Amino acid sequence: MNTTENGLTVAVLASALDRWADRMEAAADELNALDGRLGDGDLGATLAKCAQNIRAIRPGLDNSGAGDGGTGDGDLGQAFKACAMACSKASGSSFGTLLAVAFLTAAKATAGRTSLPCSELPQLLGDILGALSSRGGAALGDKTVLDPLDAVREALAALDAGERSDTAAQHGAATRATDRTIEIFRNKPNRIGRARMFAERSVGLDDPGMIAFRHMLESLRPVRP
Amino acid sequence: MKKILNNPADYVDEMLDGLVAAHPESYRRLGETGRVIARAGGPVQGKVGIVSGGGSGHLPTFTGYVGPGLLDACSIGNVFAGPSVGDCVDAMRAADGGAGVLRLYGNYGGDRMNFDMAGEMLEMEGMETTSVLVADDVASAGPEERAKRRGVAGLIYAYKIAGAMADRPGATLGEVTAAARKAVSATASIGVALTPCIVPESGRPTFSIADDEMEMGMGIHGEPGIWRGPLRRADEIAGEMLDRLLADTGIGRGERVSVLVNSLGATPHEELYILYRHLSRRLADAGVAVAVPLVGRYATSMEMAGASLTLLRLDEELEALLRAPASCPFWSM
Repeated sequence: MNTTENGLTVAVLASALDRWADRMEAAADELNALDGRLGDGDLGATLAKCAQNIRAIRPGLDNSGAGDGGTGDGDLGQAFKACAMACSKASGSSFGTLLAVAFLTAAKATAGRTSLPCSELPQLLGDILGALSSRGGAALGDKTVLDPLDAVREALAALDAGERSDTAAQHGAATRATDRTIEIFRNKPNRIGRARMFAERSVGLDDPGMIAFRHMLESLRPVRP
Repeated sequence: MKKILNNPADYVDEMLDGLVAAHPESYRRLGETGRVIARAGGPVQGKVGIVSGGGSGHLPTFTGYVGPGLLDACSIGNVFAGPSVGDCVDAMRAADGGAGVLRLYGNYGGDRMNFDMAGEMLEMEGMETTSVLVADDVASAGPEERAKRRGVAGLIYAYKIAGAMADRPGATLGEVTAAARKAVSATASIGVALTPCIVPESGRPTFSIADDEMEMGMGIHGEPGIWRGPLRRADEIAGEMLDRLLADTGIGRGERVSVLVNSLGATPHEELYILYRHLSRRLADAGVAVAVPLVGRYATSMEMAGASLTLLRLDEELEALLRAPASCPFWSM
């Protein structure tokens, strides 16, 4: 997540969502192909649909906040809720619903606040992990998007105070944790979802959800003003 | 694949177009994606709303049961694929008469995730909601794991009971939810499959089975059952299904039940009545009285050949609710 010294605001979120949507559309074919080896093959299409829906709510984020011109420092909770609604409208892969779950969890955690300090990111990721696990039924170790998410949470929590306010350091740590998790799980079987039925065949294949997560993380690389 | 259709990708939307065109006095089509069927007259103000939903391919389940005394709205997905969260949100809004909304649907992971999510979003907007999962298929989990059972034809009893309770003047969301829970815990089902069906979007059969074989306990999407073996005589099939349900529920002498003998799609009414003949004799011998027998297509699996048996254990309250007026183009009481 691209944060400034003031942490995450609606303005920061809005610009991050633009880059996120670009990447989801660009990666759609690759993710469909990856998903098609074990599942429905609609992961990329579902995320592209989420991206399209996010673009549709994007003008509302620019206009959020006090002041007639829209200052972009509106209620983060409302912004995340709009993202959740947008993703919930994408049918197909359950990954769209999981994204909506993640956004809604963020909405609850930030309701009524205009910024989220970087130091609270590990806590928020922990909340999201819990929500995804209870909604989706997956546990850590099942070879799903939960595994890199947890690795990122742990890596961010381990940063010292100085690094924690440095978005580049945060992003670097998150990227290394994600790459490492994908490596570790490549030769393990999927333990949930459709891929579970082909558990043996899933050995040696990257989990499409983890790869989607890596794309998302890459798209959120901090941009220096 | 040999099916009457235009384009597999349009299967569900064209079906919904036809459903609404045939029954404009009953249904209207709503929602951002057009995947919501609601009562033609809109929500009933002051009444608890009841929504259900799931994948297509099971008519009259789910959308067919939208109507007075039954459901208020349904979200519907592609064949054997659940509706999106957005469709569930739209269905709940369409059912909202200001007295809260009950989500009443079959116990499947994807549907649970999407309906729960929809409920959470609407609760943030101040809607009062509850959720009851129908879990009646005894072949999918043992009595000690009832909550893990899949929802099959027993859905329709839950719709009927909850719908009748919601129609009682002043009924609260809590009362309607309690009635739905009571119906679910009084319901047990088991299915038997003779042939698979083909999902139009994929063009492939849901499973394979030899011409002379049957599978006891198979689910409505082809989920594996209890045993597979040579096709048996109708009386033996009926007898085993009944024995399994009686053993599971403990229903016995002096009790009253409603019996649903349901076709999974291709099995004709003739064969359902052959099954019912044996069931009614066996129940009479066991001293179990039958009220409101239902025989027909209530929850199907496209053109799958096979049948399911559902028992609803009645008490005075459930029987009164079951007999209360209800109507939709597929079923009325």
